[in-house]
Amino acid sequence: MKEHLAITLDKVIHQKTRLGLMSILMVKKEAEFNYLKEKLKLTDGNLSTHMSHLEKEGYIKIRKQFVKKRPKTTCGLTEKGRRAFSDYLNNLEQIIRVIPKD
Amino acid sequence: MLIFYKTIDKRDNRAYIYFVIQSYFYKKLICVEIVMDKNQQQEALESIELIKEIITRTQKEMSLAGGGWIAIVWGVFCYLGISGQKLLNLYEGQIGLWWGGLTLLALGATYLIVKASVKKQAQGKGRKVMRWFFLFWLPLLLLAYTLTFFCILLPGISENYITIFILLVVSTGYLMLGFLFVKELIIMGILGMVSTIVTAVFFLEYNDIILSILFGTGLIITGLYINQKWKKLS
Repeated sequence: MKEHLAITLDKVIHQKTRLGLMSILMVKKEAEFNYLKEKLKLTDGNLSTHMSHLEKEGYIKIRKQFVKKRPKTTCGLTEKGRRAFSDYLNNLEQIIRVIPKD
Repeated sequence: MLIFYKTIDKRDNRAYIYFVIQSYFYKKLICVEIVMDKNQQQEALESIELIKEIITRTQKEMSLAGGGWIAIVWGVFCYLGISGQKLLNLYEGQIGLWWGGLTLLALGATYLIVKASVKKQAQGKGRKVMRWFFLFWLPLLLLAYTLTFFCILLPGISENYITIFILLVVSTGYLMLGFLFVKELIIMGILGMVSTIVTAVFFLEYNDIILSILFGTGLIITGLYINQKWKKLS
């Protein structure tokens, strides 16, 4: 019981939308704002909030630039974000392993 | 709790009552913890399921990156190859050298495309694509060229079978890739095999022209389709 109580999940990643966002960035080096918006089925504002949250934690890096005079926002995982995601996965595994199923 | 129970003086009512109250809350606490554990486990399972689904879907999308251009390169290779061969036939040029050089060029272009698409993928994933490229298509190409070599060396086998052998090997490659990764490639593999066999049986004399045009067109159309799909996805 005590072993389990020591497992704490990263609350920033644990939120479903942010978890989805991080999972995509684990495969794709960089993803565009519109791509993420479509894949995660979010509104502009909603996605922006989640991205800012992750950026504040230092998990992702947001890059804003102009391509053909149009704004283009892309983001990618930072080393810290990659490590946090791996730790998060390890913790999930531990929770499943430690707690008996019935 | 047990240690505490052993140390209390049962004659001391206050301590005993304190113990009973404490053990009651302790049991309650355990119950709450168990319920929380179950919820946490359920949540953990759901999260893992979500991660698995998203990663698989994104990886499948990423497998299309560059695939279109590779198909176009090999489609153009078929057209250039057969055109060059026919021209060299007229002037008695080195056909083997032409196909060999063209293959090296196409391989070089494919390598560059794969390398560029690997750059778009996250750390560690790219190596898998490169490995797949080298461990799958290179041995198949080697097999195709070995068969060609045998066709030229062995007097009993007609040179007309060279293209047939190569394309049967390539079609097998598509079938294998289809079974392993992208199901759509199974159709390409079957179509390739059927068209090769039909051409070998009914139009053996013109098989090189027919099959080069068929495979060349097929590859270019597939390449354009994959590129379009990739553009939509990304």
